[in-house]
Formats: sequence, C-alpha cells, structure tokens
Amino acid sequence: MFVLSFLLRRLAQGVLIILLVIFIIFTLLRVVPGDPARLIVGGMAPDAVVAEKAQELGLDRPIPVQFAAYLRDLVTGDFGRSFVRPKSGASFGGSAFDDQTRQERASVLDLILDTLPMTLQLAGVAIAMALAVALPLGTLGGLHPGRWPDKLALVIGSVFVSTPNFWLGIILTLFLSVKLKLLPAIGYRGFSYTLLPAIVLAVELVPFILRTLTVSVAQVMREDFIRLAPVRGLSRARTVLVHALGNSAVPLVNLLGVQLGMLLGGVVIVEFIFDYPGLGLLTINAVLQRDFPLIQGIAVFIAVMFVLINILVDLIAMSIDPRLEY
Amino acid sequence: MAAPGPADPPPASLLAVENLHVRLERGGRTRPILDGVSLALARREVLALVGEAGSGKSVLARAIVNAVPPPLRVAAGRVLFEGKDVLALGERALKSVRGNRIGFIGANPMGSLDPRLAIGEQIVHKLRSVQPGLSRAEARERVLAMMARVALPSPAARFHEAPFQFSGGMMQRVMIVDALVSEPALVIADNITQPLDVTVAAQIIRLIDSLRESLGTAFLFISSSLPVVAQIAERALVLQEGRVVEEGRVAAIAAAPREAYTRMLVARIPPIWKGVAPLPKVEGAPVLEVANAVRTYVVRRRGTFNAKNQVKAVRDVSFAVRAGENFGLVGESGCGKSTLTRLLAWLERPDGGRIAFLGRDLAALGAAEFKAMRRTFQLLLQDPYGSLPANMPVQRMIEEPLRIHGHGSADAARLAQAAMAEVGLEPELATSLPVGLSAGQRQRINIARALVLKPRLLILDETLSALDQVEQAELLELFLRLQAEHGFSYIFISHDLALVRRVCHRIAVMYLGRIVELADNATLFEAPRHPYTRALLSAMPTLEANRFPREEYLLDGEPPSPIDLPRGCAFRSRCPRAAADCAATDPRLAPFADGNAAACLHPHGGDAPARTPEAADGR
Amino acid sequence: MAETGAAAAVRPAPRGATPSRRMLRLAVSRADFRIGLAGFLLLVAIALLLPLVSPINPTKIAYQVKLLPPFPAEGWQWPHVLGTDQLGRDVFMRCLVGLRYSLLIGITTVLLMFVVGSALGLYAGFRGGWADAVIMRLTDAQLSIPMIILAITILGVSRPTVPAIILVLGLSGWPLYARVVRAVALGERTRGYVLGERVLGASDWRIMLLFVAPAILPPIAFVAVLDVARMMIYEAILGFLGLGVQPPTPTFGNVIADARKYLLNAWWIATMPGLFLLVTLTCLNLMGSALERARNAVLQGEA
Repeated sequence: MFVLSFLLRRLAQGVLIILLVIFIIFTLLRVVPGDPARLIVGGMAPDAVVAEKAQELGLDRPIPVQFAAYLRDLVTGDFGRSFVRPKSGASFGGSAFDDQTRQERASVLDLILDTLPMTLQLAGVAIAMALAVALPLGTLGGLHPGRWPDKLALVIGSVFVSTPNFWLGIILTLFLSVKLKLLPAIGYRGFSYTLLPAIVLAVELVPFILRTLTVSVAQVMREDFIRLAPVRGLSRARTVLVHALGNSAVPLVNLLGVQLGMLLGGVVIVEFIFDYPGLGLLTINAVLQRDFPLIQGIAVFIAVMFVLINILVDLIAMSIDPRLEY
Repeated sequence: MAAPGPADPPPASLLAVENLHVRLERGGRTRPILDGVSLALARREVLALVGEAGSGKSVLARAIVNAVPPPLRVAAGRVLFEGKDVLALGERALKSVRGNRIGFIGANPMGSLDPRLAIGEQIVHKLRSVQPGLSRAEARERVLAMMARVALPSPAARFHEAPFQFSGGMMQRVMIVDALVSEPALVIADNITQPLDVTVAAQIIRLIDSLRESLGTAFLFISSSLPVVAQIAERALVLQEGRVVEEGRVAAIAAAPREAYTRMLVARIPPIWKGVAPLPKVEGAPVLEVANAVRTYVVRRRGTFNAKNQVKAVRDVSFAVRAGENFGLVGESGCGKSTLTRLLAWLERPDGGRIAFLGRDLAALGAAEFKAMRRTFQLLLQDPYGSLPANMPVQRMIEEPLRIHGHGSADAARLAQAAMAEVGLEPELATSLPVGLSAGQRQRINIARALVLKPRLLILDETLSALDQVEQAELLELFLRLQAEHGFSYIFISHDLALVRRVCHRIAVMYLGRIVELADNATLFEAPRHPYTRALLSAMPTLEANRFPREEYLLDGEPPSPIDLPRGCAFRSRCPRAAADCAATDPRLAPFADGNAAACLHPHGGDAPARTPEAADGR
Repeated sequence: MAETGAAAAVRPAPRGATPSRRMLRLAVSRADFRIGLAGFLLLVAIALLLPLVSPINPTKIAYQVKLLPPFPAEGWQWPHVLGTDQLGRDVFMRCLVGLRYSLLIGITTVLLMFVVGSALGLYAGFRGGWADAVIMRLTDAQLSIPMIILAITILGVSRPTVPAIILVLGLSGWPLYARVVRAVALGERTRGYVLGERVLGASDWRIMLLFVAPAILPPIAFVAVLDVARMMIYEAILGFLGLGVQPPTPTFGNVIADARKYLLNAWWIATMPGLFLLVTLTCLNLMGSALERARNAVLQGEA
C-alpha cells in the first residue's frame, strides 16, 4: 500500500518534470537559428518547396500550437519522424529535393529503441568494471582513513577524474587496439567491441564511486553501533560486511541516480569516439544534422528514463534502509 | 592512594580489576586515562561507578572487555573475570566472554544497533555469534522470551521492527534484551538513563532492579550522577581523573563523604524538600497572557497519497506571567513545551486562542507595531554553540539587535559595550570571534543581545542545561540581579525540576500538549494535585527520601501518540486514579480555592476545584 | 577546584578562527593541497606569461620543422620540447594558449553557475514553500537532460563563441549548486543563530544575506574548485566535437580532434595536449578534494 502511494506521488512529479523538459527543449530548438524545413528538402530547393514542406510538417503554425500538437502525439506514443533519416538504414546525405526516398522517414521511437540495447550493454559493462575496481578500494579507503588505501583511492580518483574521456578513448585506441592489437576499437562487430569504450566510461565513473564510498564507509565506522559491535561480541568481518557496507549502500545507490546524467553524457562522447552504434552516437548525429524531431525525442526519452530510474533508485534505497519510507 | 578504603573484597569475586592503567598515545605523547584502578565485584552484586565526564569511566567499561580502541592502550594491570585474565585472552577466547558472559548497555540506545535492520534479527545474530551451538529457532525463542520479560509490548511484532520505530525508552529495553539474552554473569551499564526522560529512566531502573534479582546477574552501573546510582546500587566507587578517590556504601558516601572531591559532588546536589525556603508570591501586573492557545500540525499520513494526520502539539493552554515573576514550564519530551516556546517567542502563530503581551494581542499588531513590540520579549536558546553566528565579532553581535531596530552605529556600539559590562563580558572580547569561548561566555553574549533591547520578558528555553554546575550558578545569579535591576519576568522552560524548584514562583506542568497542573512552588512540590505531577516527582533521582514513593506514584508505559489521543482525559491511559468518568470527560484546567489549578476529575488532596470542570472536550 | 567562575571569565578567550578559516588552514597543511596548488600556479603562470615573451607563434605555419617528435625522442629540436604538428606549429605553445581559453571558460562558467545556483538554492531552501517547489522542479527538469547533451544541442544548432559557450555551460550547470545550497540552507533554517536573529526582529533577507550566506557558502567552495576542472573538460569536449572555440585558435579539444588524423605516425600531437590538460586538472582536483576532506574533518570535529 505504501509503495503504491509512493509510486503515485513520484509518477505525478515525474510527469511534471517531463513536461518541463519538453517545454525547455521545444522552445530552445525553435528560438535558435536554422530552418528545419530547408534542411529536409535540401539547400538547393526553391523557396516555394521549402514553404510547402513547412506547411506539410506544420512548422508554419504558431509555436504554442506546435507544442500542443507535439504533446498530443506524445500521449499516443508517437514521437514523430526524423527529418533526415530514411526508414531503411542510417544513411543520409544531400540528395535532390525531389528524391522520393525522403518521404519514407524513420520513426523517432524506432530509431531510439533500435540503439538503446547497445547503449544499455555498454553502460552495464562500464558500471560492472567501475564497481570491480572502486568497491574494494573505496571500502578499504574508508576503513583506514589517512592510510595507504585511502591515499591510493584519493590519487586514483584525482587522476581519473582529470582524464578527458575523448582523449583517453583516442590514446587507448592507439595503444591497446592499433599497437598491441589487444582489443578491437572502432564500430561494432561483436561483444568485444564493447570493452574498450566501457573501460573509458568506467574510468569516468570510478572517481565518484570511490569518493562516495570512502566518505560513507568512514562515516559509518564512526557510528556508535559499529564501535559497540566488538563489545557486543560481533566479529570484525561481520561488522564490516553487513553493517558498514550495508549502510554505505544507500549513498552509493543514490549516486547512481544523481550521476546518471553524467553517465549518459559520457556515453555520447565515448560512442562518438568509437563509432559505437548506440543512443549516444544517434544523439550526436541528430545534433550535427539538426534533426529536430530526433533531438526532441531523445531528450524526452532520456527524461522519462531519468524519472523512472530515479524512482527505481529510491525504491532500492528504501528496501535497503526502511527509514527512508517517510 | 590508588585503592583506598578498608572495604574488604567480597569472598566469591566475579570480577577483579587490579591496578589497571590505560594511556592515550598519540603523536609520541602519552597521557594517562586510567591511573591504577582496582575494583572487585561479587556475583549478583550491583556496583556503582560514579564520575564526571572525562573521569575515564567509559574507558574502564571498555577495558573490562578488552576493547579499548586506539589510540588508547592498556599499559598495565589485570582484569580477572571468572578466574581468567580478560586482557590476556586471544580473539577466540574473548568471543566467549564479550557479549556472552559480559553484557553491555550503552548511553545511546537509538544508535546502538544498525538502524536499517530489524532489532530481533540483530539480537539473534549476536546471540548465535557468541553461542555458536545455538540453532536459529532456539535463539529466536530466547530473544522473544527476553523481550517479554523486559515488558516490550507485543514482542512477536516488534521483533521485526527497526530501531527508528522505537522510542528511546523502548529501545533501551531492547538493548537490555541484547545484553541479557546470553545469560551473562555480569552486565556493564554505562550511563544508560542519561538520554531518557525522568519517568522513563525511573522505569528502566525499576526494570533492571527486578531483572537482576530474578536472573542473578551482577551489574557494574556507571553514571555521572550519585542520586541515579543511589536508586539501585549498594556500593559505589567514585572516579576522578582516572583514579578511584572513594569507595564505600552509597548511603554512607551520600551522608558523610570523606574525600574533598566527593564532598563537592554531594554538595552540588540541590535539595528538593529538605530545608527549602518557600519563594514569596509575586503580585505584579500581567506581562504575558496566553488564552486558550492551540497549535496543531498537519502531517501527511504515511502510506497514503494525500491523507493528513493532525498532531495536536499544544491544546488549549492558558496562563499569565506577572511582572517580576519567574514562571516555570516543565514536562517530558513530546509534551508540547517546545511548540509552546515557539508560540511564545512568536516564531510560530497559534491556530487558535490569543497571546497578548502588555495587554495587546500579538496577532492584531501591524508589522511596524509588532517590530517595536518584538523588543520587549526575547528568547534565549538552549544551545550556546549553535545560537551565535560564527563569523561575527562579539561586540558586533551585540550591536546586531540595535541595528535591526534602527540605531546608529555609534549609539549601538556604546550600548553594546555597556551591555557587555553588565553581563560580565571582558571588553577585550569585543573584537574576538565566538570560537573558543566557553558555553557560559556564549550565553552571556546571548543575554547581552537580548538585554540591549530593554525587554520586559525573557523566555529561557533550557538555557542553563548545557552549562556545568559552576557556570549554571553564576548565570542564575546574573539573571536574578538583572531581574532586581530591570524588573524582568522570566519563563524557565526546563526538564530540570531541581532548577525550577529553586527559582520559579509558579510552575506549569505539561502533558500531551496541555497544562495539567499550574501551582505555586510550594504546592507543586509538596502537595501536587495532579497524578502526573506526582509521577514526575516520584521519578526524580534524589539522595534525600522522596516524598512520593515510586511504588505508589510511578507510571507505567509511555504517553500515547499526540495523533490519536484517547477520548476523555488524555492521561487516563496511564493514570492510577482513572475512573469511568475519565473516559467521557476531558477535564480542563480548573482553579482551586487556593488559586492553584489542575486538570483532573479526581485530584489528590481531596478538595474539589472551585469550579466544576467543564464537560466540554477541549478540542 | 578553588577556581571560581569569575576567574574563568577573566581568562582571555583564545582568538579562534571561523570554521571556514579553520577549514582553509587544515587544507593548506595537507601535502596534496600544496602539491596541487603549486603545480596549478606554476602552470597558470607559464600559460599567462610565456606566450608574452616567447618568440614562438603558436599559429604560425613552418613546414621546415613539421612533425618534430617531443623531447627525449630521436630527432627532437630545441625549443620544441613537446614536438611540433603537421604544420610545424609548436605543440607546447599551443597547449599554453589552449590552457588560457580553458581557464577563461572554466572559471567564468563556474562563477556563473555558482552565483545563479547559490542564489536560487539559498532562496529556495531558506524561504521554502512555493518558491522552493518551483525552483526544485526546475532543477529536476534540467538535471534530467544531461548537461553535455544540452550544451551540444544548443551549440550544435547555433554558433559557438566564447560567451555562448560560457552561457550554455553555466546555465546548464546551475542546478547542482542550487541543490547543494538548498539542502544546506534548509538545515540552517532551524539553527539557533537563525532563530536568534528572528527573535531579535531581523527580516528574512537580512538573515539570509548577512548570516546564512556567509556561513554556508565558503564550506561548499570545494565544489567550485572541482567544477572548474569539470568545466575545463567540457570545454575540451566541445572543442573536440567542433562546437568550441574555432580554429585557428588552438584549444585542447580542437587540437586533439585535428591530430587524430596523424595519430599513427605522430602520436604526440594528440597525446601531449591531453597529458598537459590531465596534469593541470589533477592539480586542481587535488586541491578540491583536499578542501573537501578538510571541510569534512572540521564538520566532524564540531559535531
């Protein structure tokens, strides 16, 4: 019963947030220079054709009307169609304005759903790698503040967080892929193509996990119930594994919710570097091609994911710590 | 003079600490924390250890189970428990002692268990880790049985609740279960009543007393207060700066302390009944009038989308404070005195009723008029550390109220310097920041900040409770001097009945948002009419004989939630005198012939109220 | 024991420092802070001064010295310690110019974020109610569009200039500050010194500006230091995508993007600017995390 009411509240809030996002993106894309209708028909088209196209797409209507129409379509699950992408394949180019293939434009939602699994795979592998490094090191650092594991965590965190992801991608491609031929790098022809991009993403994630974990473990270790544990007859191992880590898990899970934006930002860059066919690459190409419906659709989709993942994060946090069920 | 006293060690000694030295070692420097402590404890005995903060008593408690944390280190000595030296045991052997043969209860019940996990499971885990042979089911049985013995209501359900779902008093019972469930021979109880309200603390003491008799457990009972240990222990050790300075029977120490330190400890304990001179009545014009004040908070009900609960924090409170009077407001946590304080200081507005100052209803004042009126009543807060802005020099801080009220800076500086002198702050402090000032000096700054506005009434919200005895006495003296010079009125909001006994002319006792008794000092302490007042007094730890014996007056249980109050009299669920009519009628505060008042249908003392309590329920 | 309270009051109180000053002092006493500060100041000084006095022009094409390797490698030439690129331009000097832009954009952006975010967060946290709800929903919305994606989108469809970059990054970064400041201000609202001011009759604005802001802003300054580093990375990313300061002005991003083509035969053109940036940012991050740790230590000491 409690969970249901919680979900209701959060979903109501989420809808509000998503509406705001749509409004922000919609307005932004319409106040910046660049005529979408001309983009679709091509630079060579006569003005009359551009005007006709604009009318066909409804781009000549007042912005509030367009906004309402867009919202109405979204409610029915229609994210619109890409301006530039044909239904088949991801090719694009500046062909003539009367090219008939332009009529068959791809659905935004299809484009997103096609690339999403790739990105989820990449993010999942990256998070797993980051946890494998940061979990043990961060815990040790928190258990021994000021000693070598803590210092190591601090140095690794500082260096990793200072590493530009695109540069690291290039350097790793050069050394691991081109020179040492350990891992494939560019494009995607199998799971091994996920590893190199995932390493770059993991390097971006590790510092945040390390920082959260060392601070929260060190903080929990100062709590009375931890100090009392040996007097009550509990073993050190149990105290650390169950009580210290258990209580540090909540900030860690929350971190995932907060840093989701950063993770997605990283995904965009990394996919671009490695030409990895995921949502990030789709985003960058959409921006570079001024494919407004696609940009809009991706932004809305990310916002929805963001809301849902944050609700999930809160539910997980509550199941770890019942105090959070306010 | 490490082990003084001719007290012969009891024959069958359970625990013997011999010449124990513990040192603090940090950065190449060492400082003694325990300096040759010796003590002996027999089976089934309750031995008290009394000492102020910093005397080393908690370190001693941990040393007995060989668990002093670094940078502390045991430098010398032996701790013989059941014939073995605990300090020489290895990890494995220690496991059979710590938490098993020796139980431990600490001063922070709410923080003693993992806040996320069910208390029952945590105790089962502890029991099985100290007694590995025990099956899960057996351990569970034992925990549930012990929960029933400490009178935790509905043990089977509470077994699955996490610490935050318990009150402090209930959680301390859980920790008693945790300590006793392994059937230890000795339990170390370190300051266990310190965070609890006075009646709850008295209940805990009563519980421990009955349990140790039926279970035959010995207790090392550690406290900073001699009256507290006098309630339960036969014999006491007095610890000062890591040394045992006096040892003997509690009654003997209380009656005739031998050492200077112990004499001072005993002398500081204020008398409640014995030789207390009654305060004269004050007959001034009323400064503050509160009439039927009500404050209700609306909170969202847990687990619902939009349903609300009403928390009735202050219910129909009326009283008046006269010019030059000290008015006391007492009650336990959750009684509504903090909310009432915020109402009186006009930090919050009442939902109903009227608060009038110098005859003018505060709610009816315009913004400018109110700001002018603001000067005349001031609040002094409990926490002297958080209540001052950290970045401001002392004199500037005292000028602040004057600047707010539009004084020029030269004028403000002059008045601030005068106020500093009046409250006893050295002029050299004018330019220093509050960091490093003592609690007493900080409270003096607060007093000066209020004083420059020339107020008529000062509300003291636990203002003295963060101070040590010496500072407390000095500030009290300052308050009374200022009262004599400026004719201030004071409202003392306090949980400290001894303080209220000493300075307040009239006292109001609050329970669940309502004043249940309002009486002059002598009546309230010597012949109170409301059963709750008597319960409060009976729960006070005293060295002198308590006029209100616990067997007769102490309450069971805890106050009901202010969300769903019982119908009729809110106190009837705990009241020993409750009768059938109490369920029907909610008694209002009604005056007696002597001018004092109580909200009770069956008051002590036999006389009926001057007016029949109205049958209307006060909601 | 004979010492009375009067004597205690006469004793001069130690002239203590404010928590912020204690925090700073503690940070300065840490080795990581000193290393970071020294390294950062050195690099900034070189970046600001060296291009003024050096005869080398970072944008001048000189084919006769093209593709020189960096210092220890075979065939390097003084003064090109980090080598030269395909057009014979000095890599080190291009790094220095890049660092100038990077610092300009990083620092200004953080100032903008800090001012806007803290002001809104302070107001939301301290006043509560409607203002709080509106501001918080706004931050929610903006946080759910990843900052870098927002920046790419806006700069991708408009023209990237230095002010545009600063504005876009700054305006997409304010929500984090608003949240942090709001959380602290919310806690501060019930603190004794705030209640004390209220009782004395001070207005909300007076309390907020005179007391709450000075108390809560310095302790979160470490976030700003860490964020300067983050913004410098974002600036580089934008440059790399062609959405930053445009060539021929060298920035870390556009230099590395350009050098990608020559990666196989002249690895240093892409590697050196990245390393240079990494070292600079590590210095900044060491300072930032030292400040954070000092702050935690001070807060715990007080608790």
